[in-house]
Amino acid sequence: MSDTAIPKVEMRNISKSFPGVLANDCVDLKLRKGEVLALLGENGAGKSTLMNVLCGLYRPDRGEIYIDGKYAEIHSPRDAQKYGIGMVHQNFKLVDSMNVLENTILGLRDEPFVPDLKRVRSRLVGLAEQYHLDVDPNASIWQLSVGEQQRVEILKLLYRNAEILILDEPTAVLTPQESHELNRVVHVMKQEGKSAIFITHKMEEVMEFSDRVMVLRKGKVVAETDTSATTPKELARMMVGRDVLFQIEKKPMTPGKVVLELSHIEALGDRGLPALKDVSFQLRAGEILGIAGVAGNGQRELAEVVTGLRRSSKGKMQIEGEDMTNKSPLEIIRRGVAHIPQDRASVGAAGDLSVASNLAMKQYRSRPLATGIFLLQKKIFEFAGRLIEKFKISTPSPKTQVKFLSGGNIQKTILAREIGAARTLMVAVYPSRGLDVGATETVRRQLVSQRDAGLGVLFFSEDLDELLQISDRVAVLFEGKIMGIFDANTVNIDHIGMLMAGMDREAGA
Amino acid sequence: MKLLFEKRKTTSVTALILVPFVSFLVSLVLTALLLAIFGANPFKTFGAMAVGAFGSSHGFAETLVKAIPLMMTGLGVAIAFKLKFWNIGAEGQLTMGGVAAAGVALFMERFLPGRSLLVGALLGGLLAGALWAGVPALLKTSLKVDETLVTLMMNYIAILYSEFLYYGPWRDPKGYGFPGSRMFSADAWLPRIMGRAHIGIWIALALAIILWVVLKRTRWGFELQIIGASQKAARYQGIAVERNIALAVMLSGALCGLAGAFEVTGISHRLQQGLSIGYGYTAIIVAWMSQLNPLAVPFVAVALAALAVGGDQVQMVMGLPAAMGVVMQGLILFPMLAGSLFTEYRLSVVRPEAKAVCPDPVEE
Amino acid sequence: MKKIILGLVAMLMVVSLVLPATAQAKKPLKVAFVYIGPPGDLGWTYEHERGRLAVQKYFGDKIETKYVENVPEGPDAERIIRQYAIQGFDVIFATSFGYMDPTYAVAQEFPNVIFEHCSGYKTAPNMATYFGRIEEARYLTGIIAGRMTKSNKIGYVAAFGIPEVVRGINGFTLGVRSVNPNAKVQVVWTNTWYDPVKEREAAVALLDAGCDIIAQHQDTTEPQKAAQERGKLSIGYDSDMGKFVGDTVLASAVWDWGTYYIATIQNVLNGTWKTHAFWGGLKDNIAGLSALSPRVPASVKKEVEGAQKKIMSGWSIFTGPIKDQSGKVVYKSGEVIPDDKQLSMDWFVEGVVGKVQ
Repeated sequence: MSDTAIPKVEMRNISKSFPGVLANDCVDLKLRKGEVLALLGENGAGKSTLMNVLCGLYRPDRGEIYIDGKYAEIHSPRDAQKYGIGMVHQNFKLVDSMNVLENTILGLRDEPFVPDLKRVRSRLVGLAEQYHLDVDPNASIWQLSVGEQQRVEILKLLYRNAEILILDEPTAVLTPQESHELNRVVHVMKQEGKSAIFITHKMEEVMEFSDRVMVLRKGKVVAETDTSATTPKELARMMVGRDVLFQIEKKPMTPGKVVLELSHIEALGDRGLPALKDVSFQLRAGEILGIAGVAGNGQRELAEVVTGLRRSSKGKMQIEGEDMTNKSPLEIIRRGVAHIPQDRASVGAAGDLSVASNLAMKQYRSRPLATGIFLLQKKIFEFAGRLIEKFKISTPSPKTQVKFLSGGNIQKTILAREIGAARTLMVAVYPSRGLDVGATETVRRQLVSQRDAGLGVLFFSEDLDELLQISDRVAVLFEGKIMGIFDANTVNIDHIGMLMAGMDREAGA
Repeated sequence: MKLLFEKRKTTSVTALILVPFVSFLVSLVLTALLLAIFGANPFKTFGAMAVGAFGSSHGFAETLVKAIPLMMTGLGVAIAFKLKFWNIGAEGQLTMGGVAAAGVALFMERFLPGRSLLVGALLGGLLAGALWAGVPALLKTSLKVDETLVTLMMNYIAILYSEFLYYGPWRDPKGYGFPGSRMFSADAWLPRIMGRAHIGIWIALALAIILWVVLKRTRWGFELQIIGASQKAARYQGIAVERNIALAVMLSGALCGLAGAFEVTGISHRLQQGLSIGYGYTAIIVAWMSQLNPLAVPFVAVALAALAVGGDQVQMVMGLPAAMGVVMQGLILFPMLAGSLFTEYRLSVVRPEAKAVCPDPVEE
Repeated sequence: MKKIILGLVAMLMVVSLVLPATAQAKKPLKVAFVYIGPPGDLGWTYEHERGRLAVQKYFGDKIETKYVENVPEGPDAERIIRQYAIQGFDVIFATSFGYMDPTYAVAQEFPNVIFEHCSGYKTAPNMATYFGRIEEARYLTGIIAGRMTKSNKIGYVAAFGIPEVVRGINGFTLGVRSVNPNAKVQVVWTNTWYDPVKEREAAVALLDAGCDIIAQHQDTTEPQKAAQERGKLSIGYDSDMGKFVGDTVLASAVWDWGTYYIATIQNVLNGTWKTHAFWGGLKDNIAGLSALSPRVPASVKKEVEGAQKKIMSGWSIFTGPIKDQSGKVVYKSGEVIPDDKQLSMDWFVEGVVGKVQ
């Protein structure tokens, strides 16, 4: 870089370690005014740690931060806010029961005790117009879609006069259309002289959004380059440290008997509103049925009904020809059904328990892990050791609490356990969401090999490319209804996109 | 230089061992200061406390007398807390256990000959504790009623009910009107092993070990661990969450009820005042200080019992006011509880002037 | 675990063998007092503490006295009493009714220690019981209350429905009715000896019910203070409560334990102590009447003095005719309630409103 201007942000020699892990190892980062920097790296590469240091959540072991060339002491998010730094976390920090206005001024110190909501509103509306962030200021957070909530988070930062916006995997939860809108917002921000850092592991995102890209691997900076001077393939290689196969080898399917059949299933969502409406389909052994749709259109409910976690109010469900409608989760597990749930942190895994315990959670009931009422501790550790190795779960020890693992490794833990228990049907809900390229590859391969081993796989994904690549057939879910089921090899991706948005004027099948 | 607390990612074994000792030292220094202010020789006072609690077979027996109910209720509370069921009703469950045991001992003599009367009384106590805990457990699992309030309120019901009995229908007709039931027949007395310390100590110790095995080495214990860590995860693994919570909480109540049965059959041999003197609340401290580990409960219970028994000496030997004993107990507990902070967090020293040992930046 | 405990026990046993041995030299007589409340209660325990100080002062360095306060009646009491016995105390005064069984249990184990239990009925060769006929003093205060009530409703805050308390209520009521047959004595139970809050609440309830004089059988001055705050009068108990509360306390039935304690210790020192059941009255000085409040008219004072003289000369306040609450004559004219019936008294005389629990 031959740039002589003072950078907006400069992080020098940042090191941060956690017990057993060096998360950031002498990292330098420069961000210029009006620039969008992509921070690319696998899970656990240290991207989030670095950004948490910048926004005051973590304190680095070593290293300094300079803002506009001046040494900045950032010990808390409040300090960071003072320097115009704001972060949109992956899990939004919004209060569900409050409305957009209230969330905007929540925690603001310079706001008077009784805030002048009128003034807040007019400023907020102004900002929203300026940046094309279309949100109803009076709507309660729980009424908003994920994309809208993200907009509120960004508005919140702009309201606080943020000059430097950090976005942690912002498109992970968005539809393609919403991603485009976000891109537009970022574009306006750039024009206004604001700078942004994207945490991501998606190549497309890097190419679409950023001016410059910095690649982290194992806590170190391995590359830094202008986006225009690189290609996704090169980035992927730098990120993973080897060539990545974007294409999964897939044998033609050899469908067997029907393992799962839903007929006219209806179910209510958490708020008591209908979440599934007249859902019917068949899934055969040796087949992957992909479920396409924007998050919140009944995917979670569908997976829960199939695994017995949610009661269906109508309809019938059969597994291997046997009526399993509204049977308990245990009875369904006993039929050989495995489930990779959408919510990994609290449903898929028990964070306070060890990796070994989490791996044993599905098979502790019988030999070889238990005899009679007793658990066989030694066998459990052997079992866990084998899975840790096979699935390359990176953990200091089988005794480490799962909550200390990275997101990708938690997912691998769940995957390892569920694949081990699956005999007839695998229900995988967003299994590669938030995973890096390497882990995503593992997940996809495993799902395909499950199918090849003669299981039925019900596969939920928001990534249409992934979905079409993995699945044999694709069903589109919109507002709890199946909009159509298509052969994955022949269907037009645009058509699926239209159906996902509820436009079925030209729908077939 | 700045000091800063950071949450530990892993539990430090050194901290786990060191922290209680250091906290204890801090307590001793604080207490010594207080004693010195009151003009008492701290060393003499600590000596008297140690001798009082451990210095004689009587003292040790009395320490055990207090430790037994603390162990039993501590174990009970620990199990419930493992499941994040905040049972603060140990006091009431203990009281109902005592009431039921007394009921059996007083009125079932005809049906339970010889030593079976004692067995009946103990089982009665166990069952009563379980049922008394079963009420909040069912309210919680079926109607999602907050257990903290229910268990707390039920303490008062239990205590007042026991008072009603020994002031009223169960009052000893030959007791010159003094409140309290008549003495049980000797068949219902728990055998004593040393002074007033009874075989309940062996039962309590055995239960601590059994509970540890159950929690750590059995399928059911594993299910409880999962439920405690995440109810959603447990449900997703096909575990009957509600039923298991109810069962575990009833087990918790059963242990507390048995503690009450021990008190009436082992110590007082009648139902009278002094049955519920706060063991069920101290049990919460016992459970927390043991980090909910059943194997640690006996040690913590003995330590707290020793503090109470040794605390008498502060008055009896040193002639300090009774309140001083209680203040000292508080002074000793507080740093111990505060110390547990260090097992979860570490104190790191931040020196902003520290030079980074990174290689010189490569000129780009 | 087991090994550790056994090891500890063994180690401590050794210590315990050494310790008493070093403390066995010829030393002053060691006397312990076990109190249910704090000496600062200005009532029951306060008076026992005055007794202890009196006996300590009287014998000087010939004896050494210690006390422990706030010992609940129940399992804990036995531990404390036994601890004193183990520590080599020669005489232990246990000063509450509820200590009777614990004292008795420990007395069986330590035949060489002398136990003195206040207000109970169990004795042993090394355990005596002592108490006083405070109801004689209460009878005198009853005369004052009977004369000075305007509403003819007198409140009585009472601890437990045991004979000691029932006797006091009956004695007081007989005193009231001897001068004012229309007055009633209303009883409220607190079920505690020492609980300032409950004692006050009970007094307030009686005042609310229209009582204009509050008598009591409790350990603190709270009922007296409650009455005073309402501008009402009261009768004290235990100590001369007028000193602490003011002249709204018309008179108090007071204890003087010092005389008894000095006599007892003298016997122990002389080697003439024998077990006994001491139950003295006004003439033994153990129970007495405090100085009267200036509010008490001279005529009433004279009346009280007359009755006092009569009691001192041997007349029993429990001399018939005595009617029970139903109005039935239970003791005929001239008949005296025998001591054993007094000691187990569980019924109220006519004029008492309330029920023995």
